[in-house]
Amino acid sequence: MIDDARLDVLTDEELARRPFDELVVALQQTVQRLEGGNAGLEESIKLYRQGLRLHGACETRLREAELTITELGRRGVTGAEPEPADEG
Amino acid sequence: MTNQPSLWDRQPEEPQEEPGPAAETQPAARSAPRILRVTDLNRRVRSLLDSDSVLADVWVEGEVSQPSFPPSGHCFFTLKDANSQVRAALFREELARAGMRPAHGMNVIIHGRVRAYEPQGVYQLYVDSITAAGAGDLHARYEALRKQLAAAGLFEEGRKRPIAHWPRRIGVVTSPVGAVWRDINNVLRRRYPLVELILSPSVVQGTTAAPAIVRALQRLYAQRDLDTIILARGGGSLEDLWSFNDERVVRAVAEAPVPIIVGVGHESDVTLADFAADLRAPTPSAAAELATPDAVQLATVIGRLRERATAALLGRAVERRTFLDAERRALAGLAPDIGAARQRASDLLDRGTRALDERLARRRMVIESALATLHTLSPAATLERGYAVARTPGGRILRDATEIGAGDPLQVIVARGSVDTRVERTRADGTEELLT
Repeated sequence: MIDDARLDVLTDEELARRPFDELVVALQQTVQRLEGGNAGLEESIKLYRQGLRLHGACETRLREAELTITELGRRGVTGAEPEPADEG
Repeated sequence: MTNQPSLWDRQPEEPQEEPGPAAETQPAARSAPRILRVTDLNRRVRSLLDSDSVLADVWVEGEVSQPSFPPSGHCFFTLKDANSQVRAALFREELARAGMRPAHGMNVIIHGRVRAYEPQGVYQLYVDSITAAGAGDLHARYEALRKQLAAAGLFEEGRKRPIAHWPRRIGVVTSPVGAVWRDINNVLRRRYPLVELILSPSVVQGTTAAPAIVRALQRLYAQRDLDTIILARGGGSLEDLWSFNDERVVRAVAEAPVPIIVGVGHESDVTLADFAADLRAPTPSAAAELATPDAVQLATVIGRLRERATAALLGRAVERRTFLDAERRALAGLAPDIGAARQRASDLLDRGTRALDERLARRRMVIESALATLHTLSPAATLERGYAVARTPGGRILRDATEIGAGDPLQVIVARGSVDTRVERTRADGTEELLT
């Protein structure tokens, strides 16, 4: 997970490479802390900035995502003969 | 004889005859026997068979014997059981649709109709569908295995694990060719392209499918960091899907180390592997959808989080202002003390003023006595004591007798009024004598 201390040192590029779910969770936590109301005004502003960064990283990830596919045991596939195309 | 109209040919010409079963035989019984041509006979038999609604729509079970596949693409065989046999014809189109090739000794269930084949004087089964018999057996085996595996606890609800909401890696076991793999790809590309797909390919049809599926699953089980596994196959006949009812496959599904979604066939196809899965998907595409969140919705969710952050920050600012307002009010609440201080200050000032006034008053008294002293020293007071002041016409006070001569005017000022005189004579000395 991404903690606050690491958030501060991570560059935007590094942040954008974090797993998407981590980014969303960090964003959720940031928002919850903001909403919690325990933070002072300055701390709130810091949290807000942090939220904006995480939001930007999430958006970038969504926008640039491309499905990656790995096929296991390509050589060892004995069942590689084509089956009739399924209609389902 | 050959010119004699046959009974068959004549029949339409005898509409006056009573219709009914006896109508056709009565003339023959009454007169000489009618001799039929073979063609007529066969046509009559065909007509008879064609008019039988049961024979037009019949299911027959039997064993295939001596099938032949001539170049025409059709298939002819004999269907038999222990006591009887019947010829069967499976035309090219139906053969292609059947998805199986009749083989000698195979037990099959056939649907079709019975017709006469006039040129050969035979009746045969015209097959429109053929399936391997034992489908009934399959069902019985399915039920038996279902009960057995259910008793072993493989299908229990308590075993089912929740599917990861945000999968990073999804393993898929299916055939790498065909529509299913393509469909899964398309769904995920559209829905959640953030995910990494690990394909463990397998045949999913035929007798080798069951062990192949088990191997493919186990290859995935050896992978690390998989969040979800999908086992998928397209629709097909009960036989096609049978490997998903194979005990080895069902047990392998139940052993999945991570949550597994099974999507086999169509919605109505429920295999034992479905029961053993953590989640059953009605179709392979549905499996891909159930395995992933929708990125379009995610964008909305993320947008809302940002809005919430903004709202919270604004809330903090408003709260802060409210707090400041409260502080101001609290300070206002301290005002009476300031008043008191002011009162104290005012008192102090009053006391100061009073002290000053007293000092001033004392000063004034000192000044007044000084003035009184000064007053005693003034010329008026001297005059009052009887002295006079003599002034020359130039206004000078006369202090020396030599400064004036006889006959000069002189003004003498006394305590009350003045006297204008002229000098008779002057003396330069003897002042002290005169004053005593």
